[in-house]
Amino acid sequence: MDKANNHPYDELLAAYSAGSLPLSQALCVSAHLEHCPSCGKQLQRLNRVGSQLMQQLKPARASEQLKNRLLDSLDSLTDETPDREPAGVDPSIPRCLHQFIDSNYDDLRWKRVSADIHSVELCRDSNGARVELLKIKPGGSATTHTHLGDEYTVILEGSFSDEDGVYHQGDFMVKGENDQHTPVATQDRECICLAVTEGPIQFTGFVSRLLNPFIRRGYA
Amino acid sequence: MQPMSKRKTSSDRLAELSACMERIANDSDKSAFAELFDHYAPQIRAYSLARDPGSDLVADDLVQEVMTRVWLKASKYNSSLANLNTWIFTLARNCRIDYLRRNSRYATEIDPTDIFNDIEDEGPGPFQLAQQDRVGESIRAGLEELPREQSEILTKVYLEGKSHQQTSEELKLPLGTVKSRVRLALKKLEVLVVR
Repeated sequence: MDKANNHPYDELLAAYSAGSLPLSQALCVSAHLEHCPSCGKQLQRLNRVGSQLMQQLKPARASEQLKNRLLDSLDSLTDETPDREPAGVDPSIPRCLHQFIDSNYDDLRWKRVSADIHSVELCRDSNGARVELLKIKPGGSATTHTHLGDEYTVILEGSFSDEDGVYHQGDFMVKGENDQHTPVATQDRECICLAVTEGPIQFTGFVSRLLNPFIRRGYA
Repeated sequence: MQPMSKRKTSSDRLAELSACMERIANDSDKSAFAELFDHYAPQIRAYSLARDPGSDLVADDLVQEVMTRVWLKASKYNSSLANLNTWIFTLARNCRIDYLRRNSRYATEIDPTDIFNDIEDEGPGPFQLAQQDRVGESIRAGLEELPREQSEILTKVYLEGKSHQQTSEELKLPLGTVKSRVRLALKKLEVLVVR
């Protein structure tokens, strides 16, 4: 397994373990975990914390009725979630993304954002966060930008660098809304990232609220 | 009666419960299932009620979901790879996420199944078992000694299922304070891997 050098911070991983992380962010953590045995180990320990907390709760008695109903149902139960071997999805794509991708990255409906960048929106989270893939061509640059909300990024293919360092496959980054940066893909190959951008309402006036979608589209 | 340390008792109990899993896997043994139900159903209900106080029906639904999976997935459970209590916790967590998604007022298109699925089957490897026991022990002891302000936050995040943002709103604390209290608590529990 590859080793990522940039990890989700501990309290984020704890929220993932607790199941209280917004699913869009959980997607990023999950994609990172596929490349990071060290976070996997950490997660085991954090799950243990959850298990211990659950055991310390005052037990809430379950009725005999519930128990008997379950016992009666056992014979007719069948596992409806068979071991899903991803049918035809490129195995190098993180498993948590298979729900959005039929075969491989190339078949997605990429939209041109700039000369260097293409993007494809995968979905929205219930908190309004946008989940998308970004593809930066070899040596290409995302123009200097800031974020309107936090942006979570995981590198899926290739690598890029910005003012703070060089990032490789599996690396996990969070940029706050005031962090300005200019990612540049390395020359040897294109770089594909999973990016989740939170969508807080930045402008409160009626007219500027209408502008938000346009402002948000133009961030890359 | 013979004096017995708390730890000994709970690890003996865990071994009995793990044996029940084997009986289900090998013989579809319903009495083993009933024993697991008696042990875990009250915990699972308490976990559900921590998030939705007073919602007994939701709690019963969660028990049904989790225990159904226990029955169906018993053959996949490997006691030498994963602690049964932790395995049950991750099942309960996954079922709750699924339930909330299906019943949420706010639609999300994200299916959580594959986000958490890999983790529930993967163990740390047998050679880490002894180390895992030590970690479990230090977590147990550590939780009792945490300052209230830290344990309160862990309860919000782990049991009530609140995001950091929701926790910060409910407790009227800055978001940064919530995050740093989680971090401090984890440090005290000695769960953080040095890297």
